[in-house]
Amino acid sequence: MLSGKIILLSALVSCAMLTTMSTFSAPAQSDAMSAATPLTRQKSASTADHSKFKELDQAFKTGPEVTVACLICHTEAAKQVQHTKHWTWESVDPKTGQKRGKKNIINNYCTSPVSNEKDCMACHAGYGWQDSSFDFTIEKNVDCLVCHDTTATYRKLPGDAGHPIYERREFPPKSGKFVDPADLKKIAQNIGKPSRSNCGSCHFFGAGANGAKHGDLDSSLQHPNKYLDVHMDEKGLNFDCTTCHATSSHEVSGSRYNMAAATKGPAHIRGNPDSSPAACQSCHGNKPHPQHMTKLNQHTAKIACQTCHIPEYARNDIGTELSWDWSKATRMGEDGKPFVRKDSAGRRAFDSKKGEWVWDSYVIPEYRWLNGVSTYTVIGDKIDPGKTVQINEVGGSPNDPDSRIWPTKVHRGKQPYDTVNNTLTVQHTAGEDDTALWHNYDWQKAIRAGMKAANLPYSGNFDFVSTELTWPVTHMVAPKEDALSCAQCHSKNGRLKDIQGVYMPSRDANKLLDTAGWALALLTLIGVLIHAGIRILTSKKAG
Amino acid sequence: MLKVIGGFIAGMLVVAVLGYNFMGSLMFREIPSPFGVEETVARIQQNIQSTGNGWALSGLRNPGKAVEADGGNTLPVMMIEACSTRYSGPILKDDSVRFLSILMPCKISVYKKNDGATYIGMMNAGLMGRMFGPMVGETMGHVAEDQEKFVQFDASKPAPAMIKATPGGGAGDSGSGAAGGC
Repeated sequence: MLSGKIILLSALVSCAMLTTMSTFSAPAQSDAMSAATPLTRQKSASTADHSKFKELDQAFKTGPEVTVACLICHTEAAKQVQHTKHWTWESVDPKTGQKRGKKNIINNYCTSPVSNEKDCMACHAGYGWQDSSFDFTIEKNVDCLVCHDTTATYRKLPGDAGHPIYERREFPPKSGKFVDPADLKKIAQNIGKPSRSNCGSCHFFGAGANGAKHGDLDSSLQHPNKYLDVHMDEKGLNFDCTTCHATSSHEVSGSRYNMAAATKGPAHIRGNPDSSPAACQSCHGNKPHPQHMTKLNQHTAKIACQTCHIPEYARNDIGTELSWDWSKATRMGEDGKPFVRKDSAGRRAFDSKKGEWVWDSYVIPEYRWLNGVSTYTVIGDKIDPGKTVQINEVGGSPNDPDSRIWPTKVHRGKQPYDTVNNTLTVQHTAGEDDTALWHNYDWQKAIRAGMKAANLPYSGNFDFVSTELTWPVTHMVAPKEDALSCAQCHSKNGRLKDIQGVYMPSRDANKLLDTAGWALALLTLIGVLIHAGIRILTSKKAG
Repeated sequence: MLKVIGGFIAGMLVVAVLGYNFMGSLMFREIPSPFGVEETVARIQQNIQSTGNGWALSGLRNPGKAVEADGGNTLPVMMIEACSTRYSGPILKDDSVRFLSILMPCKISVYKKNDGATYIGMMNAGLMGRMFGPMVGETMGHVAEDQEKFVQFDASKPAPAMIKATPGGGAGDSGSGAAGGC
């Protein structure tokens, strides 16, 4: 008994040495909380050299003059464009009939173009939309050049209602930088198929800053390498936007408003009638992995390709905006004057005109069931300010055969609403008039003007409500080597830890099954010990 | 007597096994940051510059860029390098411990993990220093004290700008040797 104590004591002395060592160190885990360049294009494969057309050999003074010349040959082009979202800024849900689109939604970025048309229409494929009187039937107001310019010199600035620069101007105002007028003749004579530069001039800079809106679309896609996007890799496949977003009669496929979340069947060769040519399956089919990878191919029944193949979005230093807090707008600096502040990476973080933003890069997506149908909160809809308002209620469920688990960006915001009528408000932000928020920093005036332009009642009382806007992530596809590994989802705290309605090995456990398994293991161990004991006893007796 | 020695050896074995398993977490620390990668880097840089004691930034590297150049994506990793001549001087002047220059400049790593959160990784300078005699132990003890100040954040203060261009370390890429600070 004594010797046993001595052995135990000696062991404890040794262990004490370890304990002493560990006291020198701090705990391993502690808490610190105390606290649009032009692209180099291939030689045009067009059968027409537009510089040889006499219709284009003239000194155009305005954009509409160019369009008139284009329409001499392309007689149906304007009519086609006028049926698209790029012209109407409106989209009708074919299933519910709900009218969506920029014209009808108050999002949680810049909120609404209504009453701010002169600025917002810098991204409209048209000329002259400056208020609700804009005539959507006038063909010469269709802007051909914004999508077909190949010189990358065609610029439309805020304040011109969609017209390009006609006179040399300082922009931004008081910046000391000047923008030269567009050489419309040269541009018209050098038109071509839309490039990444054309699409990107608006879609990379949505919400007023590079990468701000989408997260998977920013100017890094002008010259991407394969690690940023394996399809758009400039030295590889070098896809343009329109390679996937195949276009027919100027209708661009692949809009999130009418997206196919679960395309089925084999690859659809281009040229075949296909409702979703922009979907991965359009080229890769729904069994995209080699035949022997049966298990991976089975995943396509529940998982969107993007879930594994876009492990993070905003994979660059540009980053993307995660939130926009309008309630901080109109806050002045200590000197009583408006001020701006940037974040640590040099991105906009605060502006007295617009409020406060949070940005991040290499963002891990939020995953959810998605069937491609979203119900939007549109202008005039009643909201419940006691809850976070969903700008778009994403449809989808585990039992819906059209649903897949998708990666999404959720943009969170705080934006004004009418506290009596319980509606999100339209505010007049842009402009130099006395009611523009960015001019006079007066919310009341701005909301009154915005609601009047939108023909909505306004009680005169407003506050701020939390909102969420969900975007499916689908660009910045990584090479297959960088796809998610099995364990990144198949683990207790993996990427899909919050996804309900599907059994995932290593994430989900059956308590009864686990107990039975452990009981079996324990019984086996006991059996082995008993067997060994008997063998030892019998061998001693035999000896 | 044999039993005493036996017990001691058994204890040593236990220590060896436990030491082997826990040495990593003793020598290095990982703490979560309430901020994103860039802001964490910027705040640490600001703290380093305001700590005094001869501390200066010597570099900011992004090892992930080198991985990308060689083929592959990584989540962001930024490595802040800082040095204090007050602490490096005595060690560099002593031939017996001069090899510890391999630990210079001090490095603090800021990175994102798959949970989307940002973490700070750093060496446990205090513990490491004790292994190399009293002079190094005392010096590294001071380093450890200052390191603690580097990762104390005041969230009420606005985020400073990340300092990308620091002497020797380049602008957050996989640049060459760090000359500044030490």
